[in-house]
Amino acid sequence: MPALNTVGHSTPRIDAVERVTGRAKYTNDVQLPGMLYAKVLRSPHPHARIRSIDTTRAQALPGVKAILTHETTPVVWGAGGIAGGQQYNDEVKKITKHRRYAFNNPVRFVGEPVAAVAAENRHIAEEALRLIAVDYEILPFVLEPEAALESDAPKIWPEGNIAVNNRNEPLPITQKRGDAHAAFATAPHVFEDRYSTSFVHNAQMEPRSAVAHWDGDKLTLYTPTGGISNCQHDMARDLGIADEKVRVVCHYMGGNFGNKNQNQDGDLITAMLAKAAGAPVKLEFSRKDDFIGMHGRWPTVQYYKVAVDNDGTLQAVQLRGYSGMGPYRKNSGAIGGIELYRCPNVDHVVTPVYTNRTVSANFRGPEFPQGFFGIQSMMDDVAYKLNMDPVEFGVKNMSRMFRDEVPFTNFTLEECIRRGAELFDWTQRWRPLPGADAGPIKRGAGFTYMLFRSGLGMSSAVVQVDANAKYTLFVGVTDVGAGAKTTMGLIAAEALGVPLSQVTVVWGDTDRCPYSVGESGSRTTIMTGYAVMEAVRDLKQQLAEKGMPTGSQTLVAKASPNPRLEGKVRNAFGAHFVEVEVDTELGHVRLTKYVAVHDSGRIMNPLTATSQILGAATMGVGMALHENLVYDQKSGQPLSAGFYYDRIPTHLDAPTVEVSFVENDDGYGAYGAKSIGESGIILSPGAINNAIFNAIGKRLKDLPITRDKVLGALA
Amino acid sequence: MKTFTNSNARDPQQAVKLARDAHAAGKAASFVAGGSDLLALVKERIIQPDVLINLRGLQNASEVTSSGGAVTIGAGISLDALSRHETIRTQFPALAEAAGSVATPQIRNVGTLGGNVAQRPWCWYYRNGFPCYKNGGNQCFSFAGENQFHAIFGGGPSYIVHPSDTAPALMALDATFRIVGPFGERTVSAKDFFVLPRQNAAQENVLGADDVLVSIQLPAAMAGARGRYHKVLDREAWTHAVVSAAVVLKMDGDVCRSARVVLGGVAPIPWRLPEVEQLLAGQRITDDLAVRAGAASIAGARALSKNAYKLPLTKGVVRRAILEARG
Repeated sequence: MPALNTVGHSTPRIDAVERVTGRAKYTNDVQLPGMLYAKVLRSPHPHARIRSIDTTRAQALPGVKAILTHETTPVVWGAGGIAGGQQYNDEVKKITKHRRYAFNNPVRFVGEPVAAVAAENRHIAEEALRLIAVDYEILPFVLEPEAALESDAPKIWPEGNIAVNNRNEPLPITQKRGDAHAAFATAPHVFEDRYSTSFVHNAQMEPRSAVAHWDGDKLTLYTPTGGISNCQHDMARDLGIADEKVRVVCHYMGGNFGNKNQNQDGDLITAMLAKAAGAPVKLEFSRKDDFIGMHGRWPTVQYYKVAVDNDGTLQAVQLRGYSGMGPYRKNSGAIGGIELYRCPNVDHVVTPVYTNRTVSANFRGPEFPQGFFGIQSMMDDVAYKLNMDPVEFGVKNMSRMFRDEVPFTNFTLEECIRRGAELFDWTQRWRPLPGADAGPIKRGAGFTYMLFRSGLGMSSAVVQVDANAKYTLFVGVTDVGAGAKTTMGLIAAEALGVPLSQVTVVWGDTDRCPYSVGESGSRTTIMTGYAVMEAVRDLKQQLAEKGMPTGSQTLVAKASPNPRLEGKVRNAFGAHFVEVEVDTELGHVRLTKYVAVHDSGRIMNPLTATSQILGAATMGVGMALHENLVYDQKSGQPLSAGFYYDRIPTHLDAPTVEVSFVENDDGYGAYGAKSIGESGIILSPGAINNAIFNAIGKRLKDLPITRDKVLGALA
Repeated sequence: MKTFTNSNARDPQQAVKLARDAHAAGKAASFVAGGSDLLALVKERIIQPDVLINLRGLQNASEVTSSGGAVTIGAGISLDALSRHETIRTQFPALAEAAGSVATPQIRNVGTLGGNVAQRPWCWYYRNGFPCYKNGGNQCFSFAGENQFHAIFGGGPSYIVHPSDTAPALMALDATFRIVGPFGERTVSAKDFFVLPRQNAAQENVLGADDVLVSIQLPAAMAGARGRYHKVLDREAWTHAVVSAAVVLKMDGDVCRSARVVLGGVAPIPWRLPEVEQLLAGQRITDDLAVRAGAASIAGARALSKNAYKLPLTKGVVRRAILEARG
């Protein structure tokens, strides 16, 4: 892979100085003349029918300018609940029966919006909420997915609690190959186990906020979004206006992690309040509102059954999985992992289930950290039971083709695993006899591997040049944290053959930037980056034909490529190796070594790419060892909303991660770039759990692996 | 948050008067020093004061004075300053260590010793506004609920655990608390300062609504004793103790003359272990003795449905804290 001039060299973010000096303007920094402040009244009940809402006293409070409820504002929030969880699909949104409104009746989880107020200041708005009288008829509720499927469970929707697919049918997600049932009957070894994962909040530093104002019939919405184009379209559709009547602006945001590539109910509510009040409105969630009003990762229960030959070759894998979606299907609820293994017989049934908890949806690698934790813990356990080294078991059974059928554009998974084992010193750190260390403090090593989508797709870019050879790149990215502004600039500079300083990047404004796919699915570099290359190709051709512009002229080139892969699948690969130290007396788990090896294709910017792995691995530590939105079972109230009770990792909890990239260029995407942002978190919970097993000889099966579980297993 | 007014007090007597006047006028009043916790409670409407009486301007509120080996510490001293104070670090190391273990540097910079000792519980039922004993109700939701962080000693009818890190150290150091109230000044021992829920389920100490905690005294008899505060927390910073132990050993060569062992995170008050202290007194602190002390530490403990792990954890914390204090 030949080196490039600009791409591939560590480059500080182009907005780093603005961010660290406080000059960067986030949504909550936007101040508009005459701006009002909004507050949202949220349901105190997990499930209740609203008999009546009386806003008379709140209306009478001086300074209150607008109040919305389900009675005044029966507006559907299309992105909030979609049949089958299929985002970005207008046709499915149209036919969706289990619709989510901006304000719903009945309310189906604690924290669901009941009313919203805009007032002259936030204190008046808060006082007004207290003057709204809501008469609730309390309904029975259910919190856990398996309980929600029992015949006597309260029904959250009239059709029952199985979340419906894109045809409104209450059917699970299935995948079948071969005959698993027959394999279980004849295989020499069959193993069964149950794993579970918890609800983990995305927990961005920046709580949800929005500022909306209307200029005639045109809405301008400032909001932290990773997808200005998708947010624009969602807002227009929900409000029943044309896309061009909505301008979405996001110049800086405080983290995405997967739940910001649509409009959110706060955006819709703020826009409608601004319309009703005839003035700009700002809404900012409290940390607690953010935890219960926004979504998090879907919790899962996973029952595995695995058949293996005497030589350790996988014969069959069965999964019966249940995902807790909250009362709306905002995303798929799938459980990933089966695709990691070559296996002739697969029987995979995952049922997404409605519950009366905070809604679950996309969070960094939506369905993979849960599923990879389950299956990679299960397979690690199987390896021990067959007296095999888990690394050898993995290499023997890992997928080498997608679903054993379709070849990958390149395949480096084995190289990732072998390099990781070497850097980590696996043969020295892994204990053939788990829990064998003497004394109360025991060490152990574990590993996991992964493959993750890196497909191609449509996006756009515009590049222009003026008479002074100043290049301007227009891209619809906002930078959710991965450094997209800088990456797009690097790709443009590389393609143009000029230094980065000669390229101005314009981002984050639908009135100025072309469509972008949105920063989710780790695809911006691949898709929008490729559009940048195509736009530059066009500009260079124009330059060759017309020469440099003169005077006040500019040359402009736009590209919206939609490249396809025929007969191949494109994946990123990776392996994480973790050593833990378990204090068996105090139940404390500490990470003492962490090696992450990734094939994310060609690395555009090693500085930010490494940061992505560090950040994702740290989030994985939170998922593995700390985080869980705990509910009081009797009342259905969330107890651990917020950074304190949810035990989000601090800097002191972040492991030192040694990152190594297996670089290559498979000829697709932008200079061979593949996905990276999500892939780091996918691996860590399983690797940490496997290391804990190696240290103490006890298999933990339920996330998060907190002190009570460690001490309970050792008791 | 509810709108409130702020009144700055110059001295404790004026603070008491401001509180009495507010209460006489039917207003809710709260004292505020660092405010790191109080403001969070106000924002969440867990408490709804009409008047905040600000103690930051009190004269000499953060002074540390020594007299014949005894030390008096102003309740307004910041936790950070306390943890770094030369006399406290060398003469009363368990307290310095406890103060340095609180929360985060930001909170230690503004949070005070008085506020830390008198802070309200961090039970998630209380802080989420459940109508529990601490919120003026008449039940404890943790008993049959999510009680993984709750009491294994001294519980009932409330099962909160006392959240303070400095309180176990102060109790282990035989500290006394000087309080100014409507009827003048009084000094209360640590034993009497903290109250169990069975005495008063609504509060954690004897401070009345018009009482100001002014200073805390450490006796000369404890100066120079070996000490250690061992805190186990569920992440590396910014949580309260799951279980902690303050151990103070007065040594005679390698023989322990007398010992104080006080637990945090396990009971509604700092929980002293007299039987463990007697086990150590007059003995050489051997590894084996520490194991036996750990085992003895959970005599009388009763786990709730989800906190049985605190029993082995307490044993381990006590064993280690004793060995670490021994040095």
